Amino acid sequence: MELAYLAAGFGAGITTIGAAIGIGMIGKGAMEGSARQPEASGDIRTSMLISAAFIEGVALFGQVVCIILALS
Amino acid sequence: MKQFSRFIFLLLLFTIGISVIVKADSGDENRVDLIDKVVDHHYLDFKPLVTIELPRFIYDEGRFYFFRNTTSLLNKTDHFTDAAYIDAAPITEDGVIVPATYNIVRSSGEPPQFDFSITSHLVFFWLAALLTFAIFIPLSRRYQQGTGRTAEPKGAFQNIFETLIVFIRDDIALQNIGQKKYEKFTPYLLTVFFMILFMNFFGLMPWGVSSTADITVTAVLALFTFLMTQIFASKEHWKHVFWFPGVPVPIKFMLMPVELLGLFTKPFALCIRLFANMASGKILIFSLLGTIFIFSDLFGPGIAYGTSWIWVLLTLFVYLIKALVSFIQAYVFTILSALFIGLAVDDHSEEHEHAH
Repeated sequence: MELAYLAAGFGAGITTIGAAIGIGMIGKGAMEGSARQPEASGDIRTSMLISAAFIEGVALFGQVVCIILALS
Repeated sequence: MKQFSRFIFLLLLFTIGISVIVKADSGDENRVDLIDKVVDHHYLDFKPLVTIELPRFIYDEGRFYFFRNTTSLLNKTDHFTDAAYIDAAPITEDGVIVPATYNIVRSSGEPPQFDFSITSHLVFFWLAALLTFAIFIPLSRRYQQGTGRTAEPKGAFQNIFETLIVFIRDDIALQNIGQKKYEKFTPYLLTVFFMILFMNFFGLMPWGVSSTADITVTAVLALFTFLMTQIFASKEHWKHVFWFPGVPVPIKFMLMPVELLGLFTKPFALCIRLFANMASGKILIFSLLGTIFIFSDLFGPGIAYGTSWIWVLLTLFVYLIKALVSFIQAYVFTILSALFIGLAVDDHSEEHEHAH
């Protein structure tokens, strides 16, 4: 039972690392893109948010598994 | 302008102060159930002023039971009892049994068949719906009369919402669904956006509850998007699901389950994302404020008082982030709905013409 808590904690941390790397890379790409082409920054922001939302979705699946582990 | 922003700042600090008082008041033996702050309740919590119990509506063994509130249910019927009163003697105040957990079970301890009771999340969902109606029905009447279409929009009220409406129509619906079909789906996207926005904002108010922090609410919203996607899907969409064009036959069989699964994971992610974002913001605020009480337990009340300003300021920061997140999540839900609808209804006929 204690191991489940440990797994939940580790899982939450690892999913966060993954999501942080992914969203960081999107942010980097979007920043570079809009710095190079400021007139396209509106479109870039929209697609940045969409991709960030997808990555966040995957991370949230992981977090939900962790919550279920911690609550069971 | 400067005075106004100072006023807003004080208002925010005041809001947080109230939450702290509520928290200190509700903690018996210094224990506060964090999850309890996020889940649904059968009462509206205006502590320390008043707690309004909501009506109970239960269907059990072929009979409907309707009660004004949980207290009246406990006193008027022997069929049901509070889950805490099965083993222990009921708590009474002036001869009236008061609910302890609000978890209603049969006298034998089994849960009732169907519990349709009105809950706090539902009340705030209705409030958001009422607010949407109250704002957009007069607004749409104005547009029907021509103000905003033929003449310029008048007044701050119309101008504020016109920015948002035009933003959703042009930047979300038109860009993701396409020139031909976007008009059909703009009403749905507008409704979803403003409903989610209002529900999220209710969670920022003192004593407010954000219904979007409930997975059933977000699941229903995602279900609507799913139904919209499937009902208005083009032939091309179904072809891509069951018989993926342009790949060898064995691959078609391999892609079919993947694509079928993809139909359901999209709304599922939509549901979980909104729920997790709204619920986690709330938990974060309570955890930060709870740090004061943890410090008080660990190092004594002096240090807890001394460091409390750090946590209150951090809470203010998280609160502002939450205000931002309320907007972003409403936007993300709407734009992803538009994207999924756009992918499903798009029949690719224009692109093929361009390709040839």
